[in-house]
Amino acid sequence: MRRILLSVPRIATVSAALLLLLVAVGANAAADMPDAALVQRGEYLAKAGDCVACHTAPKGQTFAGGLLLPTPLGPIVATNITPSKTHGIGNYSLAQFSDALRRGVRADGAHLYPAMPYTSYSKVTDDDTAALYAYFMQVVKPVDTSPPPTALPFPFNVRASMIVWNALFLDTKPFQSDPKQSAEWNRGAYLVNGLAHCSTCHTPRNLLMAEDGARALGGGDVGVWHAPNITSDANSGVGGWSVTELVGYLRDGHAAGKSQAAGPMAEAIDASLRHLDESDLRAMATYLHSVPPLRDAADTRPVFSWGAAGDDLASIRGVALPKDLNEMTGPQLFDAHCATCHQAQGQGSFDGGLPSLFNNTALGRVNTNNLVMVMLEGLHRHPDILMPGFAKDLSDRQIATLGSYLTQRYGNPNAQVTAGQVAMLRSGGASSNLVLLARAAMVAAVLLIVVVIGLWARRRRRVQA
Amino acid sequence: MADTLSADFVVIGSGIIGSLTARKLALAGASVLILEAGPRVTRGELVARFRNSPRRSDWMSPYPPAAWAPHPVYQPKDNGYLVQAGPYPYPAEYIRQVGGTTWHWAAHAWRNVPNDFKIRSLYGVGVDWPITYEDLEPFYQEAEEIMGVSGAPNTGSPRTKPFPMQPVTEPYAMRRIRERLEPAYPVVSNTTARNSRSYDGRPACCGNNSCQPICPIDAQYHGGLSADAAVAAGARLIPDANVYQLEHDAQGRVTAALYYDPDKASHRVTGKTFIVAANGIESPRLLLLSTSDKFPQGLANSRDMVGRHLMDHPSTSLTFDAEEALWLGRGPQSPSSINTMRDGAFRSEHAPYRLDFTNISRVDGTSKSLVAAGVYGPELEKRLRHSVAHELNVKNVLEVLPLPEHRIALSDQKDAMGIPKPQAHYSIDDYTRRGHERSQADFKRIAELMGGTNLRFSKDGDFANNQHICGTLSMGKDPATSVCDGWGRAHDHENLFLASTGVLPTSATCNSTLNGLAVALRTAQHILSAQTSTPTPAATSAPGR
Repeated sequence: MRRILLSVPRIATVSAALLLLLVAVGANAAADMPDAALVQRGEYLAKAGDCVACHTAPKGQTFAGGLLLPTPLGPIVATNITPSKTHGIGNYSLAQFSDALRRGVRADGAHLYPAMPYTSYSKVTDDDTAALYAYFMQVVKPVDTSPPPTALPFPFNVRASMIVWNALFLDTKPFQSDPKQSAEWNRGAYLVNGLAHCSTCHTPRNLLMAEDGARALGGGDVGVWHAPNITSDANSGVGGWSVTELVGYLRDGHAAGKSQAAGPMAEAIDASLRHLDESDLRAMATYLHSVPPLRDAADTRPVFSWGAAGDDLASIRGVALPKDLNEMTGPQLFDAHCATCHQAQGQGSFDGGLPSLFNNTALGRVNTNNLVMVMLEGLHRHPDILMPGFAKDLSDRQIATLGSYLTQRYGNPNAQVTAGQVAMLRSGGASSNLVLLARAAMVAAVLLIVVVIGLWARRRRRVQA
Repeated sequence: MADTLSADFVVIGSGIIGSLTARKLALAGASVLILEAGPRVTRGELVARFRNSPRRSDWMSPYPPAAWAPHPVYQPKDNGYLVQAGPYPYPAEYIRQVGGTTWHWAAHAWRNVPNDFKIRSLYGVGVDWPITYEDLEPFYQEAEEIMGVSGAPNTGSPRTKPFPMQPVTEPYAMRRIRERLEPAYPVVSNTTARNSRSYDGRPACCGNNSCQPICPIDAQYHGGLSADAAVAAGARLIPDANVYQLEHDAQGRVTAALYYDPDKASHRVTGKTFIVAANGIESPRLLLLSTSDKFPQGLANSRDMVGRHLMDHPSTSLTFDAEEALWLGRGPQSPSSINTMRDGAFRSEHAPYRLDFTNISRVDGTSKSLVAAGVYGPELEKRLRHSVAHELNVKNVLEVLPLPEHRIALSDQKDAMGIPKPQAHYSIDDYTRRGHERSQADFKRIAELMGGTNLRFSKDGDFANNQHICGTLSMGKDPATSVCDGWGRAHDHENLFLASTGVLPTSATCNSTLNGLAVALRTAQHILSAQTSTPTPAATSAPGR
């Protein structure tokens, strides 16, 4: 008893000391230690936003920038967004980070080009912005190097021009949930229109390179690739896909009898979408099913529904190859380059590991750029080559012959591939006349002003006279 | 403009060895010209010809010989290009086109075992190499990393660095063979240049099972890729350039290569160093053709050694029906083997060997034999199904000793260009026959362990050929018994190097490609490190440049 009594003050002392220690540790944790849940959430959101896709150069250090984003105006260089105090965003406050993310304004007040999808990120909530900030500041490793700055031609090198552009096209309203819709739908809308920035590629752009809201998710072009219509339209969009198929596609990059991801979408799945929770992917699919349908008049039936198994072997067996291989027929080229994997009748492998060529959107769309790009570059899913590219093996004419044969035999017979199209895509896409247009517009504006001033002066003289 | 070409290095032959030697020299900044007798080809046309061929099991059917640079073909009938002097036929197959013979191979990329380099000292047979396994080890690795090689770790060839990748997934049939043969025989993955993962821009093997005659997706490494790599490194490649003569100066230095284009117009190419890499038959042929007053027996041949010591790997085999359905044909054609008989004291008595399991689909061969036997209707389907599921084949790969009477010589007959054809003098000696006899016990034991019935041994006295041509340009320390030194330099000519499986002085028990390539990369390294002055840039002038 005595011992116990005696020990009471000792317990109290020890407890007080422990409490002090805990408080001290707690205070330290708040100041120095990352809040595990917050940064983990930030990391997840950074994946949802696919920041790494643009802000990491091939074989470069993560988030250290350097990737050249091809735009019709010239390449825009992604910047270092590591917390380096000298070369990155290490000195950014949360407010400055938020302005860059959601308003397209750097800490020094200069404007970002909308290659940074801040028009989508403007929908990100304050909480999520704080989580992203915590992740970038506390977990991302600082890298003390800078890529060369972006150098667009005049007049686009005047970043202040973005003030006007933002006034026209930046919607700064944060995401508003729709109480009439389910929580799942709202979550999907938040992700699709916010961090996942689907519209950046899938919404066509107007003359001034802004997303055309009237045609939201109706299909756009990303350099040489076409980002197809993902509205709820049954023919042109994903209205005919089940939610399960959409979720599987976003997670695995393919849906049997529908489509497979290649090019930039394969990258988006590798770096971003496949890391998202199943519930988030379901939410996105649910929302996409409600996006107002937009139809391309050429899509007289679902783009995944064209074609059937078949072959033209009878036309080529026993026939020698032409001396000039550019003269090879579609069936000959198919036999040489496609049939080994996609099988003699285009049916793919029995387990779906190699897709069928019929019931495949790559051959069902009138826009055949993606078909050509896959033939040229193949299909890459990091770190695997799922389909080798044929840029080295096939001439423009051979790809045109083969591509047109494939759409006739297994896809939309109205879809064509031309040698000129292949040459254009092989060389990196159509050149833009936007720079010329902008300069012409400026000259026209100056002329207009001169004319107006002239007229005004004449009138004044008349009045004076 | 005058049609004269010149370079620091003139490489004759664009196969895997010539091209990768050229690549290594070009990467070091040298000007390199590759002369290839045959035409350029694309993988697509080869695949198209294969798929369009009525002779799917004739691996040469997609590779018709060029009129101006023929190679031997035996189906539908022998084109008579490789003349047989006997007493035993040597029906070698090889391909004269850009990229050479490895367009069709099983991609076996074995290293020798260390004792293969000293069988004279250890076992009293054959000859010792002028170099050791340790000399070659870094160059094995270099070649393996270029090609993307994988294999089992326990096949007797020690490594200082790991394989660049894991083996391709073991096919079901090979798994069952491995399981049923344990512990009597360890069945292991073959060492092959076949991707198990995406590597160097090429996809992983997906089991098309047409490695021979052509991998349709480049999952398997081949010389066409080597030729592309050489060109990418800055070498200039001239196809359709059939070299028929090397010229020399008064000191015996080689000064020029003369070649015919397809119209038999002659062209002259000068260079500082010449590397003959035209395989184990065409290389000695070219040296023998290059006669002059000073060298009446041809170049590198003052001791009459060029073309001698011809070796390959003869095989006998056993075909049988396994107890269980195994369905050969899934995965690569040649995935697994037994390597326990590659070395041992027995080598003083009989040939060592590897035991190789085929995984080639039985559909084509079985269909042909059943149809030929007049089987049709439901019986055909029943028997076809049974055979295709159950049939197995195991073969030995036997070492051949270097004998001077086995040789490639010039024939009296001439090819379409009026150049003497190569002529083979060959036989199977008792050492190799005793190896074959010893292996029959293994065949029987393997069949027994697989519950085999309907055992069909290859016809007694028949040895199939494996197209691993070596020995004809043997390297050695003694110029009286060899053609070149351990660096591949011709004993008789200071600036003439030989890069080919022909330089391998013994055949050992494994496919010759990796060994020939490693020796050639070592030759290239030697040439580069021996160079004191910096190479001059290409001084070429030719139409179209």
